[in-house]
Amino acid sequence: MTLTPDIAAPPWAADRRHALSPRHTATDGRAAALRRAARLDALLEDPYDPGSEHGFAAFLAADRERRPVLSAERLLAEAGLAAEFVPARHGGGLTRADLLMKVLRPVFRRDVALGFAGGVTSLFAASAVWAAGTDAQQRAVARLLLGGGRTTVVHPGLAPAGGVRREEVTARRTADDTGMLVSGGKDVIIDAARADVYVVHARTAETGPRTHSVLLLDRAQLPGASLERLPRVATEGMRGAVFSGLRFTRCPVPDEALVGRPGDGAQLALRMNQVNRCLVAGAATAALDPVLRAAVHTATDGRPGPPARRWHRPLAGVFTDLLVCDALATVCLRAVGLLPDRAHAPTVAATYTVPALLTDALEELSGVLGTQGGGGDLLHGILAKLVRDLPAAGLGRDGAAACQAVIVPQLGALAQQSWLMEEEPPAELFRGRADLPPLDHGALAFAGGGDFLAAALTGAAERLGCSRRVGGRSALLADLAEAFLAELRLLREQCALLPEQFGEAMSGPAACALSDRYGLLAAAAAVLAVWEGQEGDDPFLADPGWVVLALSRLGRRLGLALPDVPGDCATGVLDELLRRHREGRGLDLDAVELTL
Amino acid sequence: MTQASRITQPVHVPGPSGPWDEVREAMARCGSAVVFTTWGEWLSAVVTEPRLRLLLGRDWPRYRRTADPLVRHRFAAARLVLKYTAAAALGTDAGELDLAYKIGGRPHLRGIRQVDVGLSHTGELIVVGVSRSGRIGVDAEPLTRTLTYDVMRERMCTPAERAALTGLDGPARTAALLRLWTLKEAYTKALGQGLRLDFTEFGFPPGAEGEFAAGNEAGLLAPDGSPAAPGTWSFGTYPTMARYLVAVARYDTGPAAAPGATERPVADERSMSLVAQLLPRQMCTAGPHQPRSGTA
Repeated sequence: MTLTPDIAAPPWAADRRHALSPRHTATDGRAAALRRAARLDALLEDPYDPGSEHGFAAFLAADRERRPVLSAERLLAEAGLAAEFVPARHGGGLTRADLLMKVLRPVFRRDVALGFAGGVTSLFAASAVWAAGTDAQQRAVARLLLGGGRTTVVHPGLAPAGGVRREEVTARRTADDTGMLVSGGKDVIIDAARADVYVVHARTAETGPRTHSVLLLDRAQLPGASLERLPRVATEGMRGAVFSGLRFTRCPVPDEALVGRPGDGAQLALRMNQVNRCLVAGAATAALDPVLRAAVHTATDGRPGPPARRWHRPLAGVFTDLLVCDALATVCLRAVGLLPDRAHAPTVAATYTVPALLTDALEELSGVLGTQGGGGDLLHGILAKLVRDLPAAGLGRDGAAACQAVIVPQLGALAQQSWLMEEEPPAELFRGRADLPPLDHGALAFAGGGDFLAAALTGAAERLGCSRRVGGRSALLADLAEAFLAELRLLREQCALLPEQFGEAMSGPAACALSDRYGLLAAAAAVLAVWEGQEGDDPFLADPGWVVLALSRLGRRLGLALPDVPGDCATGVLDELLRRHREGRGLDLDAVELTL
Repeated sequence: MTQASRITQPVHVPGPSGPWDEVREAMARCGSAVVFTTWGEWLSAVVTEPRLRLLLGRDWPRYRRTADPLVRHRFAAARLVLKYTAAAALGTDAGELDLAYKIGGRPHLRGIRQVDVGLSHTGELIVVGVSRSGRIGVDAEPLTRTLTYDVMRERMCTPAERAALTGLDGPARTAALLRLWTLKEAYTKALGQGLRLDFTEFGFPPGAEGEFAAGNEAGLLAPDGSPAAPGTWSFGTYPTMARYLVAVARYDTGPAAAPGATERPVADERSMSLVAQLLPRQMCTAGPHQPRSGTA
């Protein structure tokens, strides 16, 4: 498959695409996306079936043998999943990032690496083209993806602290100035061996913030001798994914390969990462579903009754944290559509806070699951694999460090210009059923300076304060919201002292700690906003019980002195978890029926 | 011993001024360090430290409301030891660090992902562990602590451990039991599980003092005595001050390929510097962003 215009998509791709396309379903985008997710879930079959080609046992075996699950990839391709990553204007089904997350959940629930191989890797590469590519580039990439092709990013990645990037691609002007010569490479690139097209971040200038440019390179168009495909690299996580290297040697590239302007590379990466990485964090929340489900099963000994008392707290707590993760990822992915010019800071916060909560959840659940079998059985295998997979998916320490580097330089300006001052965002942002404008990659801004979540927290705390006199849970919720608002005030004071220029104070441990607290505050704000945005059709989410528990746990992580959680809040959350476990419903805000 | 040492002998550091050379040297040599001291030695630091409130951070209210002076001072001293040790390991100032706790109580340095910490105290002893490769758990018990053999044998030992204990008696059996208990505490603390894990579900081979020798049968064991997670954990036990037993559990898989990274970045300074340069100018110069109407 190449970018050459005369190669059309195979006919089946178009047919399947129509089957998944939102245009062929109800006007309600959310309901349509949930239907597409349910269809994928059903196609992938019961993951607990030991005989299934795409069940947990099959993914564990593939991980052990370090091979991709090709049958599952094929199934996703035939189901037309690729269309989900192509904007509707180019014949795909991509309209909103929050809806794409819902569609990806059934895939990530089974295997994180499958999520990447099934399309996220291509999206990471293609989004720069959706944002800044010429019409011809966009049409070519759309055709590639809809036709079953792949693309991947060649990005220099993070430099080791204070060090020099050892792996880099450079693009120099040819002597006659008619084009570029690309040299250099990288050893660990996901699906480099299978991609037809590479989106390469190449160095085009020596110094300054605009050193890198994005190039769209079609493998079939490159002289064979100028591109060497390097052997596969064994990674610690996502062992089934195919990572390998590429080496360019004076590879001639025409100027038309440039995506956006020369020097746009870093900006484009920062603008697109806010959606792509937040999307992965949100979708990966579904990967904890089997672990929490297994913990419930273990704690109840498989019986219908409630688990032993000592497990109430971790089970209800982790379930609450999954709802927090969903709330935070969902509102941020909704915001990139509704407020593309000022969604950046909260979205980056979600990108490091959601994985931190997921990692903590695995730690808490491993206590419930025990160490029996030393990792030999299916459930411990799933847990151990997830512990390895999250960092490999950019949801570990290195991913968090990358986010920190992006968020810390913005904290000072947010403190001085947004927090406690910014107007609240439109209410439909937080109403899960409200429709939104389609995602426009080109409109996404880097560091727009706004913080809709801090604004929402401020508004929610004010409203709850007014209803404090009602007493009971309303008063408790008002106290909790006030405590988080006080934390925002303190954070504002502390962040306002951060320097505008990069230096030791910005990269030091104290600034890193501020970014951690900011992420937890953003999570609390998202929870309050999602609760306030409830429209009464889900009595569990409309009840303040889960919000009290969620805020209490976020507050404990922040070290805030908070009132105790009443026992009935935790009991209500636990009952809901047991009900969903019994009925085979998802452990997120949507609570849809799953194929189990 | 064929493999390089992954755990070092606990280092005595009598106060905030150190000496910290051995901690830095241990971090450089094997990526982890363990410090021990008594709270009495650090008491003067607690009572004279002008930055105590800053250094205790969110632990300050708990320190203030603890009525028993001994408990209060030990609480503060343990946190100072932890912060100063971590600061020495990271090459930063203790006041830069923010100590926080996971839901299960496991301590961590907020926003700092390149080191993990562990803390334990018993009697007058305080022990702190720092590791660059992942989780570290430390536990300390008085050597005089006697665990009831019949009860503990059932509650905390795997079948393989029970078999090994059967061959011992008297002080040797008491010492072996205490060693197992301290190791299990250190391991579960590293996992963030406290006492929630069933101690009979994982075990350790019999052994002497110091770091466990290399080899699959020398680390964490399944209940039947077979290797449970070869090559992932290192363990050691160390008699300390002739009165205590200190156990250390450290996660370390050695170098492994990770997509996009070869080393743990701190705050990635180059990326951060780049981001700072790319920030839109109006972020620094413009007025408030969409000001709220009618509120201060």
